[in-house]
Amino acid sequence: MKAQNGFTHLFKAAMADFKRNKMRTLLTSLGIMIGVLSVVMLIALGLGLRNYIEEQFESLGANLLIIMPGSSLSGEGGLSSFGPGLIGGIEFDEKDVRSLQGIAGVDYVVPVSFKSSLIEAGSEEKIGYVESSNEEMFKILNLEILEGEVFTKSDVTRRAKVGVLGYLLAEDLFGDPVDGIGKTVRVENQRFKVIGIAKKKGDNEMDNSIVVPYKTTFGTLNPDKSFFTIYLGVTSDKDIDFAKEKAKEILLKRYEENEFSVTEQAEILSAVNQIFAIINSVLVAIGSISLVVGGIGIMNIMYATVTERTKEVGIRRAVGATKRDILNQFLTESVVLSVFGGLLGLIFASLLVLIIRIFFPAAINLLSVIITLVISSAIGIFFGVFPAKRAAELSPIEAIRYE
Amino acid sequence: MIKLQDVCKSYYLGKEEVKAVCNVSLEIKEKEYVSILGSSGSGKSTLMYLIGLLEHPTSGKILLEGKDVSQFSDEELSRIRNNHVGFVFQSFNLINKFTVLENVLLPTRYAKDKIDFNPQKRAEELLKKMSIYERKDFFPNNISGGEQQRASIARALMMKPKIILADEPTGNLDTKTGDEILDVLESLNKEFDVTVVLVTHEKPVAERTKRKIYIRDGKLVKKYI
Repeated sequence: MKAQNGFTHLFKAAMADFKRNKMRTLLTSLGIMIGVLSVVMLIALGLGLRNYIEEQFESLGANLLIIMPGSSLSGEGGLSSFGPGLIGGIEFDEKDVRSLQGIAGVDYVVPVSFKSSLIEAGSEEKIGYVESSNEEMFKILNLEILEGEVFTKSDVTRRAKVGVLGYLLAEDLFGDPVDGIGKTVRVENQRFKVIGIAKKKGDNEMDNSIVVPYKTTFGTLNPDKSFFTIYLGVTSDKDIDFAKEKAKEILLKRYEENEFSVTEQAEILSAVNQIFAIINSVLVAIGSISLVVGGIGIMNIMYATVTERTKEVGIRRAVGATKRDILNQFLTESVVLSVFGGLLGLIFASLLVLIIRIFFPAAINLLSVIITLVISSAIGIFFGVFPAKRAAELSPIEAIRYE
Repeated sequence: MIKLQDVCKSYYLGKEEVKAVCNVSLEIKEKEYVSILGSSGSGKSTLMYLIGLLEHPTSGKILLEGKDVSQFSDEELSRIRNNHVGFVFQSFNLINKFTVLENVLLPTRYAKDKIDFNPQKRAEELLKKMSIYERKDFFPNNISGGEQQRASIARALMMKPKIILADEPTGNLDTKTGDEILDVLESLNKEFDVTVVLVTHEKPVAERTKRKIYIRDGKLVKKYI
């Protein structure tokens, strides 16, 4: 019969010690718990933010090309070219819109200009957004109307002073959003008649916007008659590449290659993912500092434990324990302590995420669970090995005499 | 069985070297019942631990059945201690967080070879033999000194050792209980042919053994003063 010198005995011995020192065990694990909690929460929030942004993009509809100032978001330029291009870059105009409309396979062209303004109705006022665009805008926004209607092509052509209000903006200005229909709102002294109220979209920007025909804003809200973004709706995904090349060709006649970008939704998504990967790593690195502090706490307690149990080490050595047996014993304890803290952290993080999910799509994935367990074991080993080594190297004779 | 040749063992107390045992040569034969008699601080316990292969001597040789153990690794020494040596201490040295039965089973946790007996069964038998079976699920703190010492003898016997090394086994016991413990050790030697080395500072205790080794200031002497 083989002796039971397995993990079961080591684990049982560790548990016996923890039971005797419940408070100390709990406090020591608390360090790791907080570390794991912060790392898992940061990952969960990062993932949530990414999911949220992906959802926003996906809600824009498929087969969309996005034309923006500045060089490409992804591809050769990479992320490094993202910043400078956006600031002080070119702006598009109606001529571009007309040229782009000529591309075969392009269903619709949606120019958008966007500004933040004080929006007033009667005595109520609120800072919101003015989105000037054409009737196709509602297609790409997937905007559902709660009451009233959206403006039409003819509204755009005849510069109708009409607008569609986002749900929250309408609510703030009129109390019951539906009451806004037929009323007038003022933006920088220009008046718009509210003809439609959008359903709540869950998108802060859209819910606080007024969407107006772009031509109406020319010379007033948009004195330069310029657009920040142009969306191209392509008939089918087979036409995407062709439309993209054509759009570039057309724009290159007026602008330099690095002054604009024609991007597919998928490319923007991958760029966004890249950005979030970086943000996430930074956040996790910051969170990891607390893990290290927790690890030092474990090390501290393990050193105290070794001193406290010097005699026990001597007794175990006398009955036949090798240095390695002693090392394993203390290492098991620190790993159990650390993993216990890790699991506690994970449980608390899961509960918190469940609560946060009510407001925000935070998520814990399998990877963060695995990472948690691996990292907390690793901390247990790393910070436990020095005290365990000290225990193993104790002189058995001196240890047994230790009082 | 075990032979010590010019063995010295020193410790460092801070920077100061303390010679606990110096130039000791002796032999313990199989099935012997021998005592090491010396006053407090004479180095008798250190000598016993050296015989028990708990550590290597600073100098000199220890021969176990003719083999020089100075070449043995920690693993090998531990294996020999586990298989062949049983320690009994003055302060019993049971681990308080384990029950009596778990303490007796402790040496089996460190057995590196297959054990030819059922550990649980043997532990219970030993506890019966030591008349403390009904205390098996008690924690050491909750039983008397005599019972603790019996439990520690059961632990020492667990792996069927060839030699029992007892360091002042009666030191923390009253005379009557002490005598009972000495009876147990004596019977182990007589009935089961276990070699017993008894370390003590009490002459009457040493008188019960067949041979006496005297130690003073770390050196063997002819007479006990």
